[in-house]
Amino acid sequence: MKHLPRARALTLAAATALALAACSTTDPGESSSAGGSGSDEVETGNGVTDSEIHVGMLTDLSGPFAAGAAVQVTETKAYWDQVNADGGICDRDVVVDVQDHGYDPQKAVTLYRSMAPDVIALQQVLGGPTSAAVLPLAEQDDVYVGGVGWAGTALQYENNQLPGASNAIEAANAIDYMVDELGMAEGSKVGVVYFAGDYGGDALAGAEHAADERGVEIVAQEITSATTDLSAQASALAQAGVAGVVLAAAPTQFASLAGVLVSQGANVPIIGMNPTFNPSLLTTPAADALLANAYSITSIAPYASDSEGVKAANDLYAKADPDGAIGWEVPLAYVQAELLKQSLDGACESGNLTPEGVVAALRESSSVDTKGLLPDGLDYSQVGQSPTTTVYLSKVDANAPAGLALVDELSGPSAESFSYGG
Amino acid sequence: MSYFLEQVLNGLSYGLVLSLIAAGFAIVFTSTGVLNFAHGSVVLLGAYLVAVLHDTIGFWPALLVAMAGAAVAGVLINALLVRHLADKNAGTAAILMLGVDIVLLTELTRRIGNQVLTLGAPWGASVVRFGDVSLPTGRVVAAGVTVVAFAGLWYLFSRTDLGVGMRAAAADGPTASLMGIRLSRTAATGWALAGVLAAVAGVFLTSFPAPGVAPTVALSAFAAIPAWVLGGFDSVPGAVVGGLVIGLTSALVTGYESDLEQFVGTGFGEVAPYVVMIVVLLVRPSGLLGSKEAVRV
Repeated sequence: MKHLPRARALTLAAATALALAACSTTDPGESSSAGGSGSDEVETGNGVTDSEIHVGMLTDLSGPFAAGAAVQVTETKAYWDQVNADGGICDRDVVVDVQDHGYDPQKAVTLYRSMAPDVIALQQVLGGPTSAAVLPLAEQDDVYVGGVGWAGTALQYENNQLPGASNAIEAANAIDYMVDELGMAEGSKVGVVYFAGDYGGDALAGAEHAADERGVEIVAQEITSATTDLSAQASALAQAGVAGVVLAAAPTQFASLAGVLVSQGANVPIIGMNPTFNPSLLTTPAADALLANAYSITSIAPYASDSEGVKAANDLYAKADPDGAIGWEVPLAYVQAELLKQSLDGACESGNLTPEGVVAALRESSSVDTKGLLPDGLDYSQVGQSPTTTVYLSKVDANAPAGLALVDELSGPSAESFSYGG
Repeated sequence: MSYFLEQVLNGLSYGLVLSLIAAGFAIVFTSTGVLNFAHGSVVLLGAYLVAVLHDTIGFWPALLVAMAGAAVAGVLINALLVRHLADKNAGTAAILMLGVDIVLLTELTRRIGNQVLTLGAPWGASVVRFGDVSLPTGRVVAAGVTVVAFAGLWYLFSRTDLGVGMRAAAADGPTASLMGIRLSRTAATGWALAGVLAAVAGVFLTSFPAPGVAPTVALSAFAAIPAWVLGGFDSVPGAVVGGLVIGLTSALVTGYESDLEQFVGTGFGEVAPYVVMIVVLLVRPSGLLGSKEAVRV
């Protein structure tokens, strides 16, 4: 029992530290004393000094998404270093404050509370549950929040910027693609295998809308992230005679489902939403099945895209971390920083370099272009709706960088007719 | 009919893998009275060791090393942390195990990253066909290995001095100790055995039809908890029966979800094992084959 007192002492110390961290008495919405008007007569607020602009990043460096999050942090820092080298924003250098929430919503809220008085905006709050906890608080404080994934539930917040189309739009496009390009007949059945929660629920809503529009029938299978063997689900889908499957889950589920369906003789297309694909899947026993039948729909251009923006993102990352893992995180981190930069520039031009000014600049953006990182013409002027109906469709391809070869940009009829709350 | 048979075979073969994990929970509980919530991470550790070693030393030697590694991990957890606590307060030990689980899982997650590591298992993605019914070869091998493993456990517990000593220690530790049975030895053996079973289960849990080793495997291993509980906390045969019941329930409820949807909605396959567990505990509070004296926390 001699270990106990020390363990208790440690626990007590940790709890005290956390409680103190949560007891920030500064109102995040209040203008910081370090702000004040600069010589260029721009109004400033939290996170802005005469020489620096501080932006926050709440990410997962110790939890389940640590590896991909580390890639995003590297790319983000390299991006802002480059911006600073080019003169910064509003004659100020941008400084990124990265904090690790470990995929814990309570910790994310605590970190947000302590960080909010010192940043002008949050470039990213990684993770569904974590961002769901932070978004309403940040909305009350008028703090911009980007990089929360693509779940449609985040669209209701005025302060949120989705990096591309929502999951419902992705799923609707998946069914449009199956009908228009893969020859799926009217009356066919389509499997939808989805995670319970915001991400999967949004994808299912989009798929159901598209199924109604295109005259196909949905066979839904709800799973959780702990479901890594999809034998029973695959058997049920094969038994139902599905002509294709839409998957809103994670890479392990993508590989399992593709492999089992082929083993049961069901050679049907499987379209996975982002982030269902990971290049390491091509080293697993399911590689052949994935190469034969799997597609990926993403809101962001894949790593293998030859657009100017993606090439710039990839080059920057290659210089920042030559041995780093490659994948969709690279263009995503770059474009999240780029989107925030555009809002910061807008706030600067309007003379209101405050958290409120950044959110206002975001909502005045009705045609955002990102040099091919995201579809052109993103419209952020309508709160509650996806900024675009266009997504990227890629085929799993062993020869393509990061394992995905871009096939097409799509905006199908069901995706265009989909409306949140409508 | 072949569809039903396929789901039944799926469920039974998956259930056998769960029973390997559940047996690990039960053995640790009987030998040291600890609810070992770090067991899922030990399962992941075993699979991880095979994934990183198979390229250099081959799959089978890697499996042996993983079994030894997981056994050593179990023995160390017991020797360094549990021995000082278990006899005095099972609740504290359970919380401690949650802490160990977090530490081990965090480190393995850091090492695995966002990759899905392949095991290099010789059966790959092949399937065995019985008429119209197909079953992944990995699952057939798993079924065979599990049967052999449980036969070995039966022999150990009923025919060897060590096994009989473990049973005696579980039934009445102080008396067994007075009779000359070294409780520290039976405890270490229990933890080592659980580690070996965890490594074997980890390999089958991450083999096709699962794609490979990812951190979520530790979560998947917790699917064995209802099997352990409904079998009776302290019964290895109960763990086997519990694993089969849970595997079968999961497969059939998921497989017939479209027919059940109007009654229970979607996603019931994930909940069904816990419903079965609760129903069994309501009828038999000690589980299917558990001792009535079992200590619960």
